[in-house]
Amino acid sequence: MTGAITIDLQDDSLLYLMLAPPDKINAMNLSVLKNILSRNCTPLIITVNQPYKILAKTYAKEGIDAGKIYVIDAVTQYSGGTCGPVLNVKYINNPSNLTDLGIAITEFLKIIPGEKKCIVFDSVSMLLIHIPAVTASKFLHFVVNKLKLSDISGIFLCVEKGLDPVILSQMSAFVDKIVDFEKKDAGIPS
Amino acid sequence: MKKKGPASGRQKKDNSPPDDVFRMVFDKIQTGIFIVDPATHTIMDANPIAQDTIGLPKEKIVGNVCHDFVCPAQRGQCPITDLHKTIENTERILINKNGERVPILKTVAKASMNKKEYLIESFVDIRDRKKAEDRKIALIAYIDESVMRVKKPLEMTKNNLEFLATQVSSGDYDTEDIRMQIQIQANNIGTMVNTLFELTKKVSDEREEIPEEFRLFFTGT
Repeated sequence: MTGAITIDLQDDSLLYLMLAPPDKINAMNLSVLKNILSRNCTPLIITVNQPYKILAKTYAKEGIDAGKIYVIDAVTQYSGGTCGPVLNVKYINNPSNLTDLGIAITEFLKIIPGEKKCIVFDSVSMLLIHIPAVTASKFLHFVVNKLKLSDISGIFLCVEKGLDPVILSQMSAFVDKIVDFEKKDAGIPS
Repeated sequence: MKKKGPASGRQKKDNSPPDDVFRMVFDKIQTGIFIVDPATHTIMDANPIAQDTIGLPKEKIVGNVCHDFVCPAQRGQCPITDLHKTIENTERILINKNGERVPILKTVAKASMNKKEYLIESFVDIRDRKKAEDRKIALIAYIDESVMRVKKPLEMTKNNLEFLATQVSSGDYDTEDIRMQIQIQANNIGTMVNTLFELTKKVSDEREEIPEEFRLFFTGT
């Protein structure tokens, strides 16, 4: 059960880099999502880890209404899966297709209703399987700039110690806060 | 015509080598040498290696102040004459005729000839060494990055597969759900194998160039 872990996102328009051990990345995703929804903020999940269909089932099991969530799914087509017509989901053919990913982010940010929006990037570490750190860094910088200009919150999930010190220092400069999920977890009784 | 330099006026003892020997050593040694007047920092002489490194003939070097070619940032702060320090095998920069910065290893010695002091500035060009060092650093960084792009993702893949095993037994997921996830993990492992293959190839190729993306990222040049 992952619901016992809570993350307090202190500000609706801040950018976070959230670090967790590999076995807690999925739990971190859920915890972050619950926190965002509890703030009446509309989340846009960018997944390069799990396909939307699986995420939707996992969310349903956790009592999260998948209809309230917008998703950019970069792995369903990559796996040869069927991309069902779901209004709040956009599919990208490959996690390394940063051009389409950028376009999908821009389009979704325009159409997502409500004032409070938050991007959750799951995860920077998985993105690094597909592209070199320098390319990832440039892309994330592009996303961060877009979010800052639109005053939108962003949460970048990452496996702890899964970033080169150089990219970590660059990411540290982009984001407002770095949160170590395990330390956070350790401080909160489950 | 016989070349004359500061060494030529030296008072010799009976068993000392003739001046021509010193001139021959000065001309043939594979180290750049400037002879500088410490009072004015004027270059009095430059041997062929110094001329080659700067890319100018002696007549265009002699008469200039040494700061025009070496220690460009230290005008008025000469470590020897102003700061009274020693320079021995110290990394410095030489500016060649094109304005390029050439890394050198420099030593400065004081010498007295005919009751007049001179600075003997000798140096070796370490461009090749610097290039090899840069390449080594970039290569280590490249290996480091490649390992990083495999190690943590492999841990995540392991966890995803374990999670997948629980999904199979839960009965909540259909065959297509399971197939899709297995395929993603298989594709990811394939990409990681390619990353490792690229690493092996680039290391074993012993190429002169560092892959552009890593040069940019780690050296900023």
